[in-house]
Amino acid sequence: MTCQEVQDWTVAYLELDLDASCVREVTAHLEGCPSCRAEMEAVRQVLVRLKGRTVTDPGERFWREFPAGVHRQLMDAQGKEGSPPGPSPRRVFRNHMPVRAWPLALAASVMLVAGVWLLGSRIESHNAGPAPNGKTVVHAPVKGLPDTPDLVEADWPGAWYEDPDTILVEMASSLDRQTVDRLFGEI
Amino acid sequence: MEESDNQLLDRYAAGDESAFEELVRRHQRTIYDLAYRMLENHADAADLAQKTFVQAFLHHRTFRRASSFRTWLFQIGLNLCRNALRGRDRAPHEDVEDVVLQAPQDTFATVAAAELQDRLGHAIRALPPRQREALVLRVYHDQAFADIGAIMSCSEGTAKANYHHAVNNLRRVLVERKGKS
Repeated sequence: MTCQEVQDWTVAYLELDLDASCVREVTAHLEGCPSCRAEMEAVRQVLVRLKGRTVTDPGERFWREFPAGVHRQLMDAQGKEGSPPGPSPRRVFRNHMPVRAWPLALAASVMLVAGVWLLGSRIESHNAGPAPNGKTVVHAPVKGLPDTPDLVEADWPGAWYEDPDTILVEMASSLDRQTVDRLFGEI
Repeated sequence: MEESDNQLLDRYAAGDESAFEELVRRHQRTIYDLAYRMLENHADAADLAQKTFVQAFLHHRTFRRASSFRTWLFQIGLNLCRNALRGRDRAPHEDVEDVVLQAPQDTFATVAAAELQDRLGHAIRALPPRQREALVLRVYHDQAFADIGAIMSCSEGTAKANYHHAVNNLRRVLVERKGKS
């Protein structure tokens, strides 16, 4: 083995990264070659010095606060990217708001809208007032709904339990103009 | 028995915030050390170490687990270091190690050792980036050459060659400077 070959393998030799036969050859060469031995020692010193270079510890407080700093930056980055990394907002939201509440809320909204629409349509039919011939107008049944009784001739207490909204509308529409003016004039 | 990094990642993906903190605490010193040795000042190293974790957690679903979580963190950290070094003004900086070593001392031997470390520091800074990366990963983080190759996106042989060149370059530079002084 030549000096050049040994010097090419110096680092690998010191790193124990050579196969056994190569190690034997290099070792044998070093025993008889002072210059290669000096070179080997110089490289070993470089590695020792390298290992000796330490990084100043920033202190326990820094390490304690480090994860919180990462968490803050992560929140900012999530806001920018719009894609949460770990637990999704949907999941977090689900933890606080049971999913089952959504259909209930939707059903309540639909019922509210339907109720308002139904009430509006009944008020409209009652506002038409008595017909020119003096007969009481029997409001037409609302389309799609079961026929409603003529409230003028109906059994009021019974009707109240069946359909209180309609009774209220009927009562409001039966107030004469004078009464309404008197009531609202005072306000 | 301590949970593995992958188990903690699974817990984090399932919404467990405590797993996040555990993963950060487990690797924060390693990543800070890597960043410090590449950037050589505390502020930049602290910032880069935090960014490394942020990137890891932002994209944790892309981690295929072919390597260890630590290796993956090294990959992210080194990429960020490369970007930082590319964009950095090459103005002289304050090296904490040098400041400590250059403090007034009485003994000749201590001053001589400090000068040698200072020369070594300059020599490391002068290394080509790939050689420096291989050196830092091998000497300070005891990474196997196969892992260094994975981190640096090159073959094991290339990683080994980079490391050997780095050590030989340092040896040569130190000898040259010794001859000049």
